[in-house]
Amino acid sequence: MKEADSINGEELREMFAAATDWFEKSAQDVDALNVFPVPDGDTGTNMLLTMRSSVDETCNISNAPNASAVAKAIAKGALMGARGNSGVILSQIWRGLAEGLEDNETITGTTLAKALTKASERAYKAMSKPVEGTILTVTREAAEAALAQVEINNNLVSVMEAAVAAAKESVANTPTLLPVLKEAGVVDAGGQGLYTIFEGALHYLKGEVEQLQLRRPWMIASNIPLTPKLAQMVVDSEEPYGYCTEFLLKGEKFNPDKIRSKLEKKGQSLIVVGDASAVRVHIHTLDPGNVIRYGTSLGTVHQVSIRNMDEQHQDYLETQKERMPASGIATVAVVSGDGLSEVFTSLGVAAIAHGGQTMNPSTRDLLQAVEAVPSNKVIILPNNKNVVLTAQQVESLTQKQVVVIPTETIPQGIAALLAFDYEADLETNTRLMTDAKAAVKTIEITRAVRSAQLDGLSIKKNQTIGLLDGDLLATGSDTADILNKILAKLNLSKAEIFTIYYGADTKQAEAEQVSASIRERYPQLEAEVVRGGQPYYNYIVSIE
Amino acid sequence: MAVKIVTDSLSDITPDISERLGITIVPLIVSFGHESFTDRVTITTDEFYHKLVSNPNWPITTQPPPGDFIKVYDELSKETDEILVITLSTKLSGTYQSAVQAKNMFEGNCRVEVIDSLEVALGLGLLVITVAEAAQAGANLDELTALTRNTMNRSHLIAYFDTLKYLAKGGRIGKAQGMMGSLLSVKPILNVKDGEMSPLTRVRSRAAGMEYLYNFAASFAKIDKLAIEHATTPEDNMKLAQRFEALVPKANIYQSTISPVVGTYAGPGAMALTVLEAAPD
Repeated sequence: MKEADSINGEELREMFAAATDWFEKSAQDVDALNVFPVPDGDTGTNMLLTMRSSVDETCNISNAPNASAVAKAIAKGALMGARGNSGVILSQIWRGLAEGLEDNETITGTTLAKALTKASERAYKAMSKPVEGTILTVTREAAEAALAQVEINNNLVSVMEAAVAAAKESVANTPTLLPVLKEAGVVDAGGQGLYTIFEGALHYLKGEVEQLQLRRPWMIASNIPLTPKLAQMVVDSEEPYGYCTEFLLKGEKFNPDKIRSKLEKKGQSLIVVGDASAVRVHIHTLDPGNVIRYGTSLGTVHQVSIRNMDEQHQDYLETQKERMPASGIATVAVVSGDGLSEVFTSLGVAAIAHGGQTMNPSTRDLLQAVEAVPSNKVIILPNNKNVVLTAQQVESLTQKQVVVIPTETIPQGIAALLAFDYEADLETNTRLMTDAKAAVKTIEITRAVRSAQLDGLSIKKNQTIGLLDGDLLATGSDTADILNKILAKLNLSKAEIFTIYYGADTKQAEAEQVSASIRERYPQLEAEVVRGGQPYYNYIVSIE
Repeated sequence: MAVKIVTDSLSDITPDISERLGITIVPLIVSFGHESFTDRVTITTDEFYHKLVSNPNWPITTQPPPGDFIKVYDELSKETDEILVITLSTKLSGTYQSAVQAKNMFEGNCRVEVIDSLEVALGLGLLVITVAEAAQAGANLDELTALTRNTMNRSHLIAYFDTLKYLAKGGRIGKAQGMMGSLLSVKPILNVKDGEMSPLTRVRSRAAGMEYLYNFAASFAKIDKLAIEHATTPEDNMKLAQRFEALVPKANIYQSTISPVVGTYAGPGAMALTVLEAAPD
């Protein structure tokens, strides 16, 4: 790292890794910028996971690569690892950057400006309806500033500085451009994320080692006054991925508690049991070698088992029963929650992609599911607004014929799945399933992760809130109260049945009570109560 | 002499029509434990569904023994020298085999042809009615067998079920096996494909099911005959029949009850719709 006039491929790789580490420090803060105070605000985590995928890809290429090769690896890693809308847009930004750096051995101030411009173009192209006041605006304004700076002084560091300063200003300005941000009292999360990444890259270019190690990224305040205070969101531990690592440690004078606390930081799902002379260790980690090395430093290591959990997941998909309809079309659904997964499976879905902690699977996760099903025609049900874009990426990554029905909630996904016609072709089914999803209403009940003022509603942190088809509509004292409030706003003359899917933190007895209370008010409706086991949302209710 | 048409009681043809068109109907047998009944001869539909739900014995259905067919061939050979037998699908019943065995054992001076319709209920019924009308108009046996095959291709039956459990228990679920075990209460809609039950789609409620049946009928450009039949729900049957008057002349709409034999597998609440497309000009 040095004050440089240009950087080569190796340095680009280092810079990107440094920026990722820098970004990681504030991923949670970015998550908290979600416009809706709902628990699955996950822009920060999604962007981080996408970045990590890029870093992994850059480690795969040969030594001494040129800048163009590294940029391509970053783009490829992001393409496969993209999670959520923010991940997908980020992957397009890196794609544009790589295009701008085509055939370049190094990056100079001039080539950086050119690459940022291409990145901005790609980002806008990614969206069918580009919206200003988002990461798109930030990318564009950073690129414009970089181009302008090249006229004055084309030194790499000064061009990057100009880009970063413009990005900062742009992020601060997003509430002015996008009214919903202003109302929610936040700047745009994706924009803040991108700024932080650029900020980290700049620290690297300037050789500011201490900054990178010891300081935290700057969370930008809005240009206009905003009322609610931002609260931190607690991020659940990640779903395990990497290697399932187990071994038996033998020796003397072991302290299992000490071993446990040492290994806690090295992975998830840690189990340490034993006594002074023998300890069994189980952990899910990205770096099994590190864990084994720790073991051999303490004693001798036996019965070592390291299994690639991505492969295990693949095997599971392959041993699924074949229940293929005559038309040879398979469906893949994105579902979180064991109960809901069982429901979808029982309705004939061929494969399920889990979203992980952010409930958003990566492009790779969805692609794997598509490739795993025994059919060349696949329908994807994303069941989440933030997964639709990721799902659409898959279409161009596979030889199979893929159609995405843009379902945004679990009930929409179920309605679409029920409408599937076993004899119709892909085109007819697309029409049937799309029509079916429009006919169902979804109500979601969860707890607010921070206070907010939204659509005339005053929301306190941890208060129970209700959403109708993704729009925040009501707060209340309890679930039944909120559900009745929302139901009162609907025209239920054609409704026949409501279904309650209760989440992991909800007891069946409570769900039954809620159901009974609704039936009291609306005796003409049939009720069904199903265990969904989903995280974050205590209740998902469908009205059909 | 006119060709005589014979079918089995699963065709669900009502007595007024079978008399008018001179169709002979051979009944199947349904038993509860040691009690045996002949379809709509010694048990009515209402009695059947009452027993289905209340009797501790699960009903068993049996095809007519070959002897029943031989008796019919004997009787009819006094009036004709050509008999056409059209039975329900062999994949759903052994009736076809019975009719063929009877033909082989029959010693009369009469030509007997037996055709597997690959159909059931009024899917079979409308087919037989169409052929019987042509027979009354004077078509010979060869013309009628050709007409039968042609008409089979234009016949579409779909059925709404309140539950698949009767179908599965009776071993007639065919390709719709995959629809079992849904954790959500859904109502299956099946059709008949290659002579066996096949999955079509699912709906969330009975009302949605009735809507689906109507829309299915409405999706055909030219309809010759429409049939709607029920197991235990005559009001729903009436309602749909009335709505169908918007699609075809009332005279071409046939209503019936699903035979107890089929009811054993369909269960209470089931409805079946048959669309017979018009022949191309």
